[in-house]
Amino acid sequence: MMFRPRKWLVVLVVMLTAWLGVAGSALADPSPLHPVFPFLDQDGVNVLESGRPVSTMQTCGGCHDTAYIAEHSYHAAVGQDHSVAAGQVADGRAWDMSRGLYGKWDPILYRYLTPDGDALFDLGAPDWIQTYGLRHVGGGPAQFSLDGADLSTLSPARGDPQTTSHDPATGQDRAWDWQASGTVEMNCFLCHIAEPDNEARKATLQAGQFGWANTATLLGSGLVEKTADGWLWDAAAFGADGALLPENVLVQSATSNNCGQCHGAVHLENDPLICADIKASDWSSMRTGQIYSGQRLSDSGLNMAGKEGLILPWDIHAERNLKCTDCHFSLNNPAYQQESELTRPDYLTYDPRRQPLGDYLYRPNHDFAKGDTAQHPLAPELSDSMRQCAECHDSAETHAWLPYAETHMNAVACESCHIPKMYTAALESNDWTVLTLAGVAPSTHRGVEGECGNPRDLMIGYHPILLPQADADGVTRLSPFNLITTWYWVQGEPERPVRLEDLQAIYLDGDGYQADVLAAFDANKDGQLDETELRLDSDFKIELIRRRLQGLGLQNLQIRGEVLPYNISHNVVSGQWATKECDACHSDDSRIAQSLPLAPYTPGGVTPTFAGNSGISLSGDFTTDSDGALRYAPNIAAENLYLPGHNRLPWVDIVGWLAFLGVFAGILGHGGYRLYLSAKNPPPAHELKSVYMYSFYERLWHWTQAIVIILLMATGIVIHRPDQFGAIDFGLVVPVHNILAIVLVINAVFSLFYHFASGEIKQYLPRPAGFFSQGLLQIEFYLRGIFRGDPHPFAKTPERKLNPLQQVTYFAILNLLLPAQILTGLLMFGVSLWPDLAVHLPYLAPIHTLVAWFFVSFLVLHIYLTTTGPTLTADLRGMITGWDQVEAHGQ
Amino acid sequence: MRKFKRRSWILGAMLTFGAIAAALFLFLPRQASNRDDPWAHVPKHPVHTEHTVTLLAGPFESGQEVTQACLQCHPNAGAQMLQSSHFTWEHGPYDLPGHDEPVLGGKKYVINNFCIGITSNWPPCTACHAGYGWEDETFDFSDVANIDCLVCHETTGTYVKKNGGYPAEGVDLAAVAQSVGNPTRSNCGSCHFNGGGGDAVKHGDLDTSLTFPNDELDVHMGKHDFVCTDCHRTQDHQIGGRSISVSMDTANQIACTDCHLATPHEDSRINNHTASVACQTCHIPEFARKLATKVEWDWSQAGLDIPQDPHEYLKIKGAFVYEDDVVPDYAWSNGEIERYILGDSIDPAQVTHMNSPTADITDPTARIWPFKIHRAMQIYDSEYNYLLVPKTYGEGGYWVDFDWGEAARLGAEATGLAYSGQYDFAPTDMYWPITHMVAPKEQALQCDTCHVENGEGILDWRALGYEGDPMFYGGRAARLLAAQSAVNSEGGAK
Repeated sequence: MMFRPRKWLVVLVVMLTAWLGVAGSALADPSPLHPVFPFLDQDGVNVLESGRPVSTMQTCGGCHDTAYIAEHSYHAAVGQDHSVAAGQVADGRAWDMSRGLYGKWDPILYRYLTPDGDALFDLGAPDWIQTYGLRHVGGGPAQFSLDGADLSTLSPARGDPQTTSHDPATGQDRAWDWQASGTVEMNCFLCHIAEPDNEARKATLQAGQFGWANTATLLGSGLVEKTADGWLWDAAAFGADGALLPENVLVQSATSNNCGQCHGAVHLENDPLICADIKASDWSSMRTGQIYSGQRLSDSGLNMAGKEGLILPWDIHAERNLKCTDCHFSLNNPAYQQESELTRPDYLTYDPRRQPLGDYLYRPNHDFAKGDTAQHPLAPELSDSMRQCAECHDSAETHAWLPYAETHMNAVACESCHIPKMYTAALESNDWTVLTLAGVAPSTHRGVEGECGNPRDLMIGYHPILLPQADADGVTRLSPFNLITTWYWVQGEPERPVRLEDLQAIYLDGDGYQADVLAAFDANKDGQLDETELRLDSDFKIELIRRRLQGLGLQNLQIRGEVLPYNISHNVVSGQWATKECDACHSDDSRIAQSLPLAPYTPGGVTPTFAGNSGISLSGDFTTDSDGALRYAPNIAAENLYLPGHNRLPWVDIVGWLAFLGVFAGILGHGGYRLYLSAKNPPPAHELKSVYMYSFYERLWHWTQAIVIILLMATGIVIHRPDQFGAIDFGLVVPVHNILAIVLVINAVFSLFYHFASGEIKQYLPRPAGFFSQGLLQIEFYLRGIFRGDPHPFAKTPERKLNPLQQVTYFAILNLLLPAQILTGLLMFGVSLWPDLAVHLPYLAPIHTLVAWFFVSFLVLHIYLTTTGPTLTADLRGMITGWDQVEAHGQ
Repeated sequence: MRKFKRRSWILGAMLTFGAIAAALFLFLPRQASNRDDPWAHVPKHPVHTEHTVTLLAGPFESGQEVTQACLQCHPNAGAQMLQSSHFTWEHGPYDLPGHDEPVLGGKKYVINNFCIGITSNWPPCTACHAGYGWEDETFDFSDVANIDCLVCHETTGTYVKKNGGYPAEGVDLAAVAQSVGNPTRSNCGSCHFNGGGGDAVKHGDLDTSLTFPNDELDVHMGKHDFVCTDCHRTQDHQIGGRSISVSMDTANQIACTDCHLATPHEDSRINNHTASVACQTCHIPEFARKLATKVEWDWSQAGLDIPQDPHEYLKIKGAFVYEDDVVPDYAWSNGEIERYILGDSIDPAQVTHMNSPTADITDPTARIWPFKIHRAMQIYDSEYNYLLVPKTYGEGGYWVDFDWGEAARLGAEATGLAYSGQYDFAPTDMYWPITHMVAPKEQALQCDTCHVENGEGILDWRALGYEGDPMFYGGRAARLLAAQSAVNSEGGAK
């Protein structure tokens, strides 16, 4: 709303027309530093002379060590440098040949690079450039063969995937003339000029004019033009010496916009972010919903649920002017380079030694610092070379409010709370077992109501699933993910995906479906297949498709399903917007246990498996909803995580309820019978006398303990079942519970000292002599005497206040239950100081809960038994005033 | 014994609860609470006494009669108002650099680059005077009957003033008088929204859209329904606040910090800005968000018989440029200005600054403020090289005869300046601080509005005195230290 381009124009005009003030800024900023240079072709001849495509290796190589740059760039190699024979990639598929874009199958793009020797051809190296290569910077497999030879030196030969192109429309293979097409050198312009023409580059690649692709990137800069006659260099842009005029030197450091061309939506402009800014090629945004922008969500032009309240920026780092290369920096950039803590000597916090800037400019390492994400297993040797959150942020400084801070930090990745939600849509599933009329897999998206891609669809966003993943420091933490599930047919031995063209052949017939496919799938007979019909959900349909594929000569047909986990690490929010409510996780409906829907149905009934080795602990379960939708639910218990307020052992509560209800039922029966008898037949009054039974201190500690225990029970049940007490702040109740426990322990210690010092301790010690017979007498009194109005079997005296049953009960409570409760409680509290204790929570907490149940049961019984004194309230009164009424017999 | 027992019971209960409460109080983690409570500073609105028929029966023949009726019950109000700048239109005197004699400020004396000056043009100007009958220099500023109570206190919305400040014909003075209450936005707005001769002309951040603003236009007056006096606190008819358009010192200022903390943000990175950036800079990203405001006025083109449009050209006034949704200009300001005083000489080749802020980056009390800059071409004596107040209104005025020479002569005569007989038009500009139309925090500027890597943010860092974007070049702390030590060494030398 604020910054419409029109307004900026107005401002600019005002600036320019101002009578006084600073002169307006230049419209296109030439590089202030970069010297002029000539554009050279592959042979080092000025393109103005030769009219050939610009060679970045030659041109930029005039000053920079371009060979070094290309060799030190996983963006260029994309796995080719570590490629292996098909099926030899650890945890890979049978047709995977590397961990990178060149050789690792992307089941969402579906097409696969054909392994050497395969009879069926899908993508040869030139085809790969025309598909996967659209998001490849050049160099690597676009320039060199597997054995390192320049592709243009290979003689055209059909059959070798490196020199063969396959046309899926005709099914024909043809030998590729690399000499004619040229190759794609690493494209410096794509990342180092402000407005590279990426669309022209891609179009040129798709047209097979590989040699011109880098030149095409310069279209629009005024240096080169594409005419009907071919490419024309504009001599006017160059000086007499053949070098660029200074104003045409537009070289700059790579900006986030440069990175965004291939990686995802980057929006750093002031105009509202709109649907069209998130392009299909912004695959990181399409697959996870990540958008790098400092704009507030509420200022965007997207149709988002609750948008008015979303006044947070898409990414706080973008808002704070961080650019991609601030975290993903060149590994030898002296401004950023810092040795890892792992290898840095203990006595150093900062190593100031830097290589000279000139050396860096000559040989800038183009391997960029990277994290360790499930979707980018490429260059594992560089995983976590990126700065971690804690290397810039001091979490202790900002998380003082967080109880058990270190425990949380050890269990939960920063991203889990600081990327609480993805606000736009993301891909959910692709079902390649069937095809839409467009000849692609039907797909589903999460985070959107309606069909994704329509600007009118309401983006509701989604909560990423939190899965345990090993971090750089070796600690496994819960991190946010999107899961994309794909199903597809494989065939042959060794296994290969059924080629897209084969799928299209068996499903489609011109503009429609094959007649028998339509007949089998079209349940409502309307002549069209809607999304619920276009499913392999019956044996009949599966067999039909299998038969048709067999008809193409394909064997060993199977349906495979795989889940691709995508780490989410952008769209970071500041503390204000992070997940902070305790009960977001500490509740029945815990964020951490939250499952993620995978697909509306399970194609072919094939439960998918997780793809590759993602470092994720996959202890969760695939479940099917009543409507057939498939979901993945994490299993917290299997991860040895125990969340107070969420985790409960059902049997603990069952035993607890049984104990409580048993006591309660006994009291009801016993008390009811007493009431009944006393109403019918009032008991004889015994002669009573007042005895000073309880000293002031005894009463003080008793009532302190009583109140504390009741409060502990009240706060404990809130911690145990926060979902039942939504109005109460979990984050407040936990420290209150802890403090009360400390009061209880201190009170108990004082009281223990008092009882030892005064010798009163012996009151609690059952006397062995005659203990059983006395106990039986007391039991007999409760079972019979009390109903008859008999006097109590044992006189209560200040020297002997407790009857044998009380003695044994208190003996058990004081020696078993209380220590158990204090110990387990202390250890659970200790988790905040010694986070390593957290692993013991799974049994500490249930014990604590069970003992709490026993305390509750005891409390009920205890209160009831106070009514069994000489009068109903005599005991209660005695504990309050100190003066007890006792029967005046036998004394 | 009984008594003792009861006492021990109470004592025990107190001890027990006391121990538990004390433990909780001592050990419960405290929420860091430095959040301010601006509402604690907002004045309460007392219920205004109804001035019904019995109190002010009328009929009233004139405004003065109403005033006298008011003063019967509010005898102090008259003396208070006689001191009020809303009545005197006068501030000072001030000792101004470059002037031997103290100079007087206020609308009565200073000139601007809109309608220029009131001297010789009183009647239309004084239609907004809180008084009755100021039509020439003979107006009696000591007569309490000349005070206009109604313009600030009537609540019917039917009270209109005409030239000289008199009630317009047809105003039912009795009904208006009986309606009196605490001043509303409409009361203040009846003049302040219409400065410069029409709605939204002058300030850019004050216009009739603020009579009933929505939440987005002004968070205080819209969302929270503030009236002007909630911030412009008024005691004994002395109204808080002032503007550099008529005042020359920094007394009696209103600040956001009257209610808000100086560092109210959760994020310390943002709080670090408040020592150098005025709240308004981020929280008023644009002004004139509903109605366009005048940003340029070229008097030199007046007098042509060409098609007229109040937003582009009027024969009596010349050519204008109006803009809406204007991104302010930004300048260092500590509230102090350099003021053009009538008679000061000008360089007609340069822009003459009517009231430019004097502070710069080295002033620790200065902050970067948003301004509307109004630029004009206005008449000056091309031989003596000073600006003139032309007589525009009335007999011999430019608006009647379209004769600049005669208007200049009559105006000079009234202001006591010598007029050479030669006039021309010179460029001037005038700074209007932007402080109303505070947007909701959702619309405040973000980091990248100013801090943009390629330097295309809305702040021109070098023009402000920075070496470059302070995100990269560092803030002004070093500059302040250097300036401070320069001052110190200067002091030592003396």
